[in-house]
Amino acid sequence: MTATAPELRVEGLEAGYYAGQSVLRGVDLRAAPGKLTVILGPNGAGKSTALRVLAGLLPPAAGRVLVDGHDITRVPAHGRARLGIAFLPQGRSVFAALTVHQNLELGGWILRRRRQDLDRALEAAYERYPKLRPLRDRPAGSLSGGQQRLVEIARMMIADPRLILIDEPSAGLAPNLTEEVYEELARLRVEGRTVLLVDQNVRAAVEVADYVFTLESGRNHLEGDRERFERELGALIRAWLRV
Amino acid sequence: MLSLLLQAAVDGILLGLIYTIMALGLSLILGVLGVINVAHSVFIMLGSFFALGLLTLLHLDPAVSFVLSVPVFFLAGAAVYRLLIQRVQRAPATIGILVLFGLMVVVETAGILLWTTDTRVITVGYSNLRLSAGPVTVNGARLVAGGLSLLATAAAYWFLKRTLTGRAVVAMADNRDAASVLGMDVDRLSMLIFGLGIAAAGAGGVAIGMTFPFAPQDHIQWLAWAFLIVIVGGLGRVESTLLGGLVIGLVQTLAGVLLPFSWVFLLMYLLLLVLLIVRGQGLAGARRREL
Amino acid sequence: MRPALEPAGALGRLGQDLVRLRRRVWAPVGALVLAGLVALGLVSDDLALLDSLGVIFMYVVLTQAWNVLGGYGGYMNFGMAAFFGVGAYTTAVIGHSWPVSPVLATAAAGLASGLFALVVGIPTLRLRGAYFAIATLIVTFAVELVALNAPFTQGSLGIYLKVLPLSPLQTEQLFYFVFLGLMLAATVIVFLIERSHFGWALVAVREDENAAEVLGVRTTRVKILALLLGAVMAGIVGGIYSYRVLYIEPAGTFAIDTSLNVVLMAVLGGAGFWQGPLIGAPVVMAVGDVLRVAVASEVNRLIFGAILVAVALFAPNGVMGFLRGVRGRRFTI
Ligand SMILES: Nc1ncnc2c1ncn2[C@@H]1O[C@H](COP(=O)(O)OP(=O)(O)OP(=O)(O)O)[C@@H](O)[C@H]1O
Ligand SMILES: [Mg+2]
Repeated sequence: MTATAPELRVEGLEAGYYAGQSVLRGVDLRAAPGKLTVILGPNGAGKSTALRVLAGLLPPAAGRVLVDGHDITRVPAHGRARLGIAFLPQGRSVFAALTVHQNLELGGWILRRRRQDLDRALEAAYERYPKLRPLRDRPAGSLSGGQQRLVEIARMMIADPRLILIDEPSAGLAPNLTEEVYEELARLRVEGRTVLLVDQNVRAAVEVADYVFTLESGRNHLEGDRERFERELGALIRAWLRV
Repeated sequence: MLSLLLQAAVDGILLGLIYTIMALGLSLILGVLGVINVAHSVFIMLGSFFALGLLTLLHLDPAVSFVLSVPVFFLAGAAVYRLLIQRVQRAPATIGILVLFGLMVVVETAGILLWTTDTRVITVGYSNLRLSAGPVTVNGARLVAGGLSLLATAAAYWFLKRTLTGRAVVAMADNRDAASVLGMDVDRLSMLIFGLGIAAAGAGGVAIGMTFPFAPQDHIQWLAWAFLIVIVGGLGRVESTLLGGLVIGLVQTLAGVLLPFSWVFLLMYLLLLVLLIVRGQGLAGARRREL
Repeated sequence: MRPALEPAGALGRLGQDLVRLRRRVWAPVGALVLAGLVALGLVSDDLALLDSLGVIFMYVVLTQAWNVLGGYGGYMNFGMAAFFGVGAYTTAVIGHSWPVSPVLATAAAGLASGLFALVVGIPTLRLRGAYFAIATLIVTFAVELVALNAPFTQGSLGIYLKVLPLSPLQTEQLFYFVFLGLMLAATVIVFLIERSHFGWALVAVREDENAAEVLGVRTTRVKILALLLGAVMAGIVGGIYSYRVLYIEPAGTFAIDTSLNVVLMAVLGGAGFWQGPLIGAPVVMAVGDVLRVAVASEVNRLIFGAILVAVALFAPNGVMGFLRGVRGRRFTI
């Protein structure tokens, strides 16, 4: 807990993958410092696209991304890691050919010139995720889906990020592992990090959330704090399933 | 007959080492960046002329040129990456290939204008030296070229396997997005790999120039050989390229014992065709440029 | 990321206005130009002019041949010279040895080039991506080696053909009209392909081969068929070419210039548009004509190579891309 948690603000975001075809059509978001904010929405609403823009992987056509008031819209993805921003993409993203330890080491890429800090961070990761210790020298690609997810989370945490973007962390996991993932998310919030979570697992996500946004077809739809959404959840899910 | 085969095996291994460094860049750039460098062999040709030029102008031994070629061609490759390849990294892959094809034509033609289409050889004190050990005789130039190639290949292996940057390259090859959100500057790493690939091509060109005659317009043969080696060995890993290089070196020299000379080339091209059919599907998994 | 493929505002609108205009006037203008070319061929006795135009027509055919797989399918063929050369050598060897009608020999040239395409295409086009491109370069080199060493090609001495029993003007007129007709035929074929199921399948391969396969496109077959079609066209052109030049030797026939010119013409005019070759071939030949008086042929090639790099970097969709205001291709991720 070295620095305070940052605030993330997104204003008027427009982005897409093909010229002239916007996926996001003017999205505003805010992730309050030290809180867990959730983005919900039906398939194809543009949730992952929004996170890709925030991570710097997709340059937006319009709009601004602000961290504590500083405009980082033009900062490339690798520069955002240095600002304490981390991103866990949807789907598998371990480096399959490398061992678990090597994966974690690369999680500390920005610490590479401070070898001692890196070693300390690696040790801290094994403390924090003791299940990884026996897997240390296994190729990450040979692990089970749940173990790979754990490696991804641990790898993301090596650099001690203050603002964490997570895309569907529980997708494809067994129920008990899903539970662990949400426990980990709750822990991130307790540690005072700012978390922006995209999830399909609506109930579980709202349960850990402080504040909720919903997107539909690339636009803001609803927003509000948890209590409000817990009441409306049933209607919301039914509406999306009909979409 | 046995000593003949032994002789061919030794020659083949040395040749295979030279082939390895000659093909390494093609394999790395394809395996890591997903870019098939159709201009690969013009840098081999430039490497040969680099050694020839330094020999005639400064009386530098090609072994020295081999070492010098690494930084020089690294810079050339990095510049090519920044000026040409990086611009089209996000465009459809066909555009990158067109650019590299244009580059190939430009460099080859510039080579012809500078050095004419005449065939050259590099001759130094040990070029015709024959070292004997038991039944085996080794040509001096080939020994030096093979030894240097082995060193360079080992260095590349060490870099990719044992350094953090090398593992970052492997990570980038696997998942470019995941690498960049961890803070790796993937454009810089790509430039590094492209530069190293071209450096290997240039050094390979020096080694080729020490062992074979060369001319600006004949480089496509080395493209064919490098391609063959990549197909035999597999993509992107130094040890795969070494395997491919040794196999091709051995096949070529052993075939040379059993067949008339002009058949050897035909055999190699046939091998290329057959391997494409047999092994091709394994290559289809070659990483695409999608992020 | 800038939407690079969208033409800049006002210029783009101008381009689109031009297209709209052209759509309305295209058929009459096309017919008029064609009628003009026919009339010119009948009345002109300017041998040099007929010759130059004939070469342009020939290149249009070769570029259309390239366009099928390269433009629509996105598979770069850097070895058009090889397919052209196989055709040229076929008629040369036949015409040199046997009294066969040129028409039959030319048909054989198309056939030979088509067979050659299968030999090249079946191993390489089952693979995805750029393996094919590198293979086409290698194949050109290998075929030249064969032409230099095979017993029936007379190596670097080359092959002479018998002069046709025609006056110089009649000869020029003959080839002028033959190539004009082939140009028309090739353009019509590619025009029809662009609107056919086959053409859409090729475009699907270009845009996203995985998706195409999932949608049920038999991608390997489509690609090989496209190569085959282009190769037959190129082989026929090559076959006629050797009757025209009457002397064939390996270095010139398989020169990289032919392959380079074709690629440059296709990309400059607009790869994947049936109009592209009609624009690219005359432009490139005109530039070549200007250069020819000024510089050696190597310098010419150097300049064309540099132009190709520049076009690929800055205007990858060529003239037609500009006119159409190409959008919809992936420009960023
Ligand atoms: N790499 C891509 N290339 C082109 N289009 C894409 C790409 N990724 C997403 N899209 C398109 O963008 C739109 C939004 O997709 P996105 O992945 O952001 O949705 P999502 O809300 O995350 O959906 P899901 O819940 O299924 O993950 C979809 O229409 C999708 O087809
Ligand atoms: Mg998503």
